Amino acid sequence: MQLSIEDIGKSFPGVTALDGVSFTIRPGEIHALMGENGAGKSTLIKIITGLYKPDRGRLTVDGKEVAFSSPRDAIAAGISAVHQERNLIPRFMVGENIVIERLPTRGGLIDYGAVHREARRFPDMIDPSIDTHTEVRRLSVAQMQIVEIAKALSLETSVLLLDEPTASITGHETEALFAVLRRLRDEGKAIVFVSHKLEEVVSICDRVTVLRDGRVAAAGEPIATMGRGRIVSAMIGREERVAEIGERRLAGAEPVLEARSIATSLGHRDVSFTLRKGEILGLYGLVGAGRTELARALIGDARILSGEVVLRGERVTIGSVPEAIRRHRLGYISEDRKAEGLILAHPIRSNIVIPIWRRIAGSLGLISRAAERRVAAPLAQRLEVKAPSIEQAVGKLSGGNQQKVSIAKWLAAGVDILIIDEPTVGIDIKTKTAIHELIGEITRSGVSVLLISSDMPEMITLADRILVMKDFSIRGEIENTRRYEAMSQAIMGHIHDGGDDEAKPREAGHG
Amino acid sequence: MTGLFDRILAKEWSALAAAIIAGTIGLALTSPAFLTEFNLYVMLRSFCVVLVVAFAQMLTLAVGQLNLSIGALGGLVAVLVGGMMEKLGLPIPVAILAGLLVGAAGGLANGLLTVRTGINGFIITLATASAFTGINLGITESVPFYDMPAAFVAFGSARFSAFPYLLIPPVIVALALGLFLARTIPGRQLLAVGGNPHAAELSGIPKDRIVVLAHTLSGLLSAVGAILAVAQLGSAQPTIGADWLLMSFAAPIIGGAALTGGHISVASTALAVVLIVLIQNGMVLTQVDPYWVQFVLGALILAAVALNRARALRAERG
Repeated sequence: MQLSIEDIGKSFPGVTALDGVSFTIRPGEIHALMGENGAGKSTLIKIITGLYKPDRGRLTVDGKEVAFSSPRDAIAAGISAVHQERNLIPRFMVGENIVIERLPTRGGLIDYGAVHREARRFPDMIDPSIDTHTEVRRLSVAQMQIVEIAKALSLETSVLLLDEPTASITGHETEALFAVLRRLRDEGKAIVFVSHKLEEVVSICDRVTVLRDGRVAAAGEPIATMGRGRIVSAMIGREERVAEIGERRLAGAEPVLEARSIATSLGHRDVSFTLRKGEILGLYGLVGAGRTELARALIGDARILSGEVVLRGERVTIGSVPEAIRRHRLGYISEDRKAEGLILAHPIRSNIVIPIWRRIAGSLGLISRAAERRVAAPLAQRLEVKAPSIEQAVGKLSGGNQQKVSIAKWLAAGVDILIIDEPTVGIDIKTKTAIHELIGEITRSGVSVLLISSDMPEMITLADRILVMKDFSIRGEIENTRRYEAMSQAIMGHIHDGGDDEAKPREAGHG
Repeated sequence: MTGLFDRILAKEWSALAAAIIAGTIGLALTSPAFLTEFNLYVMLRSFCVVLVVAFAQMLTLAVGQLNLSIGALGGLVAVLVGGMMEKLGLPIPVAILAGLLVGAAGGLANGLLTVRTGINGFIITLATASAFTGINLGITESVPFYDMPAAFVAFGSARFSAFPYLLIPPVIVALALGLFLARTIPGRQLLAVGGNPHAAELSGIPKDRIVVLAHTLSGLLSAVGAILAVAQLGSAQPTIGADWLLMSFAAPIIGGAALTGGHISVASTALAVVLIVLIQNGMVLTQVDPYWVQFVLGALILAAVALNRARALRAERG
C-alpha cells in the first residue's frame, strides 16, 4: 500500500505547523521522518493517524483520497502507529492491551483464551519473557514500550508508524526490534520511522524525509546518497556545531558533595562519589539504572539508609526537598520539565522566583511584581530565554527555553550544587548546543553540576568525569578525555561488565 | 499457607471482608436481636436500593466521570412511575418500562451534554440534577402518590424466610454488571476509556460514545433504584433519591474505586454496601442516635481512601 501526503497544510492560532508538505511512503521501505522539535513531525503524525484534520492538502492511499475523522478510521484504512506517549491501559493485562481494538468473542462474551493466544504471537517477536497475563502497570518502562510495539504490529496494517520507538529500550531490544522491522519491510509493509537518533536512522532506514519549520527540507531521499552530514544540515539549516564549553580548570578544586558508600530506600547499594566545586560530574546509565532515583535520595525525597552524605565538608542528613534547597543550596532539575519542573500556565517571572518567594516578600509578607521582576529579568536575560517578555506563560515556550527557565529558577534560589536530569531530552539540536554552553558557563561561575544523561555525545561533550551506573550501583568512574570513540567504548565496557545487559523487570516507579 | 494469606491480604476487598466478619461477630455477640430472621430481612431489604444506586455511580466513576444527578433523576423516575400507575392506571410492567426509559434518557442527556459541550461532567450533572428535581416538584407539588397497585407493594415487602423478593433485581443487576465489565466489549471499552482515555482513543475505541454509554447506564440504574424504592416504601415519594448522593460515592470509593477512572469492582462495591448497611443496622440495634450514622460513614470513607493510598504507596516503593 502506498501512502501519499500531498500538499498538507495545518495552522494553529499564531503558528503555521505544516506548510505544503508532500512526500510518498512506498510499500517495502522503512522511511525515516526527521526534524527538530517544532519542525512539524508530531502534527504530521497526528494527521496521518486521524487525530487532526489538515487545513488543506490530502492523503491518498494507493491513489485514492482518504479522509480520517478519528484514529479508528486510520486503523480501518490500514495505518497503525506507536505514539510517543504511553498508550496502554494500566490495569488491563498485556494480552488485552495488545488486541484491544478487536477483542475476540464467543457467544457475545470476550474469549480470554483466544485473547492470550492471539497476543502471544507478537511479544514473542521481541521479548518472550513478557507474560501476557501481567497487568501493564507492573511492567518496566522498556517492557511497556515493547508491548506498545507489539500492539501496533498485531494490527497487521500495511502502514506502520513508529514515533521514537527506541527512546526507552535497551540496545539489545532495539536490535531485536530492527530485525522485526526489516522482516516486515521485506514482506512489503510501509514503515515510517521517526527518531532523533541518527545512528539508528542510518542503520535501518531506506529513505529519509526531513521537515524544517513546517516545510519539507528533503523529500524521500535515499539514505545512502544523503549521508549523515546532509541530513543534519537539512534539519538545522546549517552545519552542526559542537558546544564550546570552554577551558576546564579543576585542579585543586575542593569537594562540595560526597557520597560515602550510601544505600537508599529505593534500592541503591554502596554508592560513593565526589563532586568538586565547579565540576560537571556525569552520571551515565541506561533507563532504569537508578540515576533519577539517586538524585531523589540526595535531595531528601527518599531515605538514605546507611553511609554518609558530606556537603561542603560537613556530614548532613537531608530530610526534605525544601530543606535541600534552603539550607543546603542543593537543587534538582527534573527530566520531566512539564510535570515536575515548571508551572506551565504561569509566566516566566513567577516560575523563576517560586523558590525565593519568602526572601523577596515585603514587610507584610506580600510579594510585589516589581520585586519578582528585579530578580527574574536579569536572569532571563543572562540565560537568553527567548520570549517576547518575562510575562509570557512558560507553557508557550519551546522545550529549550523552558529548560533555561528551570536553570534560572535554581540560580535565583542561590543554589550552587545542581543535579540536572536529562537536560536536553526532547530539545532540538540548535538549542541543545546553547543549553550545553549554559551549563558550562554556570560551572565556571562556581556552580557544581551532577549531570544525569543517557545521551552519550552529550555526556562526552560536557562531563569532566563520568560515573557509570547500572542496577542501582556505580560500576565505574572514567576521566573524560573527550575522545568520542574511546570514551563510548570505555563507558559501554562498564555497562556490559558482568554479562547481563538486559534491563531487569522492576516494580512501577523505578524509571 | 503464608502464601495464601499474603495473597488474600493483597486483594483490595480483604480489608472489607475482615471488617464485615468482625462486625457480624461483634453484633451477634452483643445484640440478641441481630441474628433474628426479621432483622436479617430488614437488613437485606435496606441493602437493595443502596446497592443499585452505588452501581449507578460506579459506572460513571469507571470512565473517570461522576454523576451528581443520580438522586434527582431517581426522584423524578419514582414520581413518574407512581403517577403512571395511580393517575393513568397503566399496568405495572408498562409503568416500570417507561420509568427505565426515562432514567436512561436522563443519563443519555447527561452524557451527550458532557461530550458535546466538553464541559466538566461535575457541572453538567449539577445543573441537570436541579432540572430533574424541578420537573419532579412541578409534577407533584411535593405531594406523594400513595395509591400504588397492591401487587407492586406486595412485591416490595414479600419475603422467603429472611430473603426479601426485593433483593432479586439488585442481584440480577450485580451479576449482569460483573459479566458486562469483565467479559463484554463495551464493558472493557468503558474501563479502557477510564484507565487511559488518550490510549483508548488511539486504539480505535469511540471514546465519546463510551462516555455517553456510561452516563446512560448510570441513569438507567438510578431508575432501577427509584422503582425499587417505590416498591419498598409502598408509595412514590418526591423525596426519593434526596439522600442517595453520599451513599452512591461512599460505596464505590470504600470498595477501592479510583476517582480518576478505570478501576472499579462490582464485588468490592457490593461488600462496601454490606458494610454500610451492617453499620447502620448495628447503630440502630445498639440505640445510637441515627444522626451519628452520617459521621461514621464519613469516617469510613476517609479510612478507606487512606488505606488505598497506603497500599498504592507501598506498591510504588516496592
